[in-house]
Amino acid sequence: MAHTKEKKQREKYDILSNSIIIFFAVLNLFPLYWLFTSSLKNSSDVIKMPPDWWPRTFTFSNYTDVFNSQPALRWTLNSIYVAGLSTILVVIASSMAAYAFSKLNFFGKNALFIIFISSLMVPKEVMIVPLFRITQDLGMVNTLSGMVWPNVATAFGVFLLKGFFDSAPDALREAARIDGAGEIRTFLQILLPIIKPGIGALFILNFVQVWNDYLWQLVIGQDKNVKTLMVGIATLMQDLNPNFAYKMAGATVAAIPMLLIFLLFQQYFTRGIAIGAVKE
Amino acid sequence: MLKKRMFSAATALVLIMSLLAGCSGGDQKNTANNSAGGEADSGKKDKVELSLWLTPQWKGVLDASEPNADYDSFFKEAADKFSKQYDKYDVKVNVQVIAGDQRDEMLNVNLNGGTPPDIFFESVFAMGDYVHRGALEPLDDLVDDTAKADIDQKYWDNVTFGDNVYFYPFAHNPGTLAYNADMFKAAGLDNYIGDANEIQTWSLDEYNNILKTLKEKLPKGSYPMGLYALNNQGDTWNLAYLRMFGNKFFDDERNIILDDENGLKAAQWLKDVYSQGYTNPGAESVSSNDANAMFQNQQLAVSFTNAVLFNNAKADMEAGKAPKFDIRLANIPSASGNPLSFTYVVGACVFKTGNDVKTQVAKDFVKFFSSDSELVKSSKNSIPVRSSVADQFKDQYPLFTAYDANSANLFNFTGNVPGYSELRQVLYPELQAIYIGEKTPEQAIKDYQSKGNTIIQQAKESSIIYSK
Repeated sequence: MAHTKEKKQREKYDILSNSIIIFFAVLNLFPLYWLFTSSLKNSSDVIKMPPDWWPRTFTFSNYTDVFNSQPALRWTLNSIYVAGLSTILVVIASSMAAYAFSKLNFFGKNALFIIFISSLMVPKEVMIVPLFRITQDLGMVNTLSGMVWPNVATAFGVFLLKGFFDSAPDALREAARIDGAGEIRTFLQILLPIIKPGIGALFILNFVQVWNDYLWQLVIGQDKNVKTLMVGIATLMQDLNPNFAYKMAGATVAAIPMLLIFLLFQQYFTRGIAIGAVKE
Repeated sequence: MLKKRMFSAATALVLIMSLLAGCSGGDQKNTANNSAGGEADSGKKDKVELSLWLTPQWKGVLDASEPNADYDSFFKEAADKFSKQYDKYDVKVNVQVIAGDQRDEMLNVNLNGGTPPDIFFESVFAMGDYVHRGALEPLDDLVDDTAKADIDQKYWDNVTFGDNVYFYPFAHNPGTLAYNADMFKAAGLDNYIGDANEIQTWSLDEYNNILKTLKEKLPKGSYPMGLYALNNQGDTWNLAYLRMFGNKFFDDERNIILDDENGLKAAQWLKDVYSQGYTNPGAESVSSNDANAMFQNQQLAVSFTNAVLFNNAKADMEAGKAPKFDIRLANIPSASGNPLSFTYVVGACVFKTGNDVKTQVAKDFVKFFSSDSELVKSSKNSIPVRSSVADQFKDQYPLFTAYDANSANLFNFTGNVPGYSELRQVLYPELQAIYIGEKTPEQAIKDYQSKGNTIIQQAKESSIIYSK
């Protein structure tokens, strides 16, 4: 009897908590819904009051205008190139550095690691002028390389992957070494496969970070054809064209790749966020 | 295993090729960018490469209806024309359009990096701080008697900081009010409607009466006048309202003097029209963009506009992209009866790059496109600063005459004070405080003046104009 009462109470609690969750989920999704549906309306319908919650007539001309009037496809490819290549390089550099900090013993390891991690406390905006001058001296202003290389060495990636290497038993490495594997082979074939979830998390977190790295890409990509999607679309927003639906279409174009990435890799994304939440 | 290795090798190859491709692009670009004042080839002119940045102004060379019209079309055409007739150097101009809200980030990083653009084409009010920082070259040597005679002194005053001219005026974009004549007619206000090709002037009493009548007659959900204070966008109209009762805003030393009887009357007027329901509600959280959208959607009878916004609104209506109504222009009224008139002068400035050759060529190019008889016609996309161009187009654009007549009442809303961009950040919070009742108009005006003068004082200390 008491069990049934408790079960009913739990069901009521579940219904209540689920309703609250659904309410906030809808609330969070509404701006995306409004963005997308507005991009399919005529400009006058976007500013209509009371608003049309669903487009009365669908028009895709805003999207064709965005791609015809601006090199939006080029910007998209630039963004994919910059975010993709930066992330691959970050994963390579971070995994090697993290392995060294975690499994190798060398003089000043801990002090070096602390110095390395301290750089996380320096915001990128503070470094932007010296970084710009270095990039300029290397002749990388107005190139995609200039957007890629300064993103390659990140303390965050090393910090994240070191945690994964730390959780891998030292005995594995020792066994591999006893069996005759060299350091590189131990790293590549024994320990790297074990930290795949960490690499996945770093990949997605870094990809999103570089994709949204507006300020650096803005100052480096000055030519129209070297702009990335986020910077290019921001330029579109300043367009004197008062067609709001056209701007909504531009914003949708900028949002879609990120949404797809999130949907495809959400398990890594949530895992990346949850890392460190539980101390074992 | 073999497949796996082949895949790894292929991935590595793609990666290396991508890197090489990226790097090589950079090298080529860098070489091109550094070619200014480069070596002369035998029998050829020296090459000079200039960079010109602009924020979006108008599309096309002369008109937005041209094929492939874009914001950089005019300058590409001007550069082509200039390099063909320029006998000193072989000139190439790289034109870049940057968004207005990207301007300061781009300029600050490039100034610190020692690579500012050679030329920047923009509204003068947005660039004044760069004059005070000493980043711009004076352009007095470009101004000849012909230009002085053709361009009204009011525009020259707008681009003069201290004793020097720093911008070559090209066009201007006057700020006025726009009103919905259909809503006026529906409210029985036919007597206050001006001609479609004129800028109507109302006295302040008339304007108050218009707002009162509209409040009584407009259907629910529509409001007489647009009022906003969310951020600094469109704050020039708020600055104009604060001058309504004759306050001069800046004294001769360029300090704010809003805290007097007339300034207080103006702030009280804003508070009154808001609390009496003559404006849209929630002005503290409404932006100028929101107000503009409400006006286009016929929820406001009177709103702010400028020449470009006005033309865009009309074009939108014609294209069926916005609800069609009879849109007309009016001046911002004042207690004296004289209209309050301001304008955004648009023109080119030349940055100090430390390269004498590039500076000279940049100046020559600025003078060329700002005075060439064909190229200056493009200023009709806003309002020409040159009387000769306004005269040429007055039949095609009858409002040019009306704007020209208004130039007698122009006030310089920035006062060309140092720290103007920072000054903008302290006005709207005080207006918000008035609207939500957090401060009395008197207190808000006092606080604005105090904060504003502190900003100006600090900026004066580092200004090259005031340290002379």
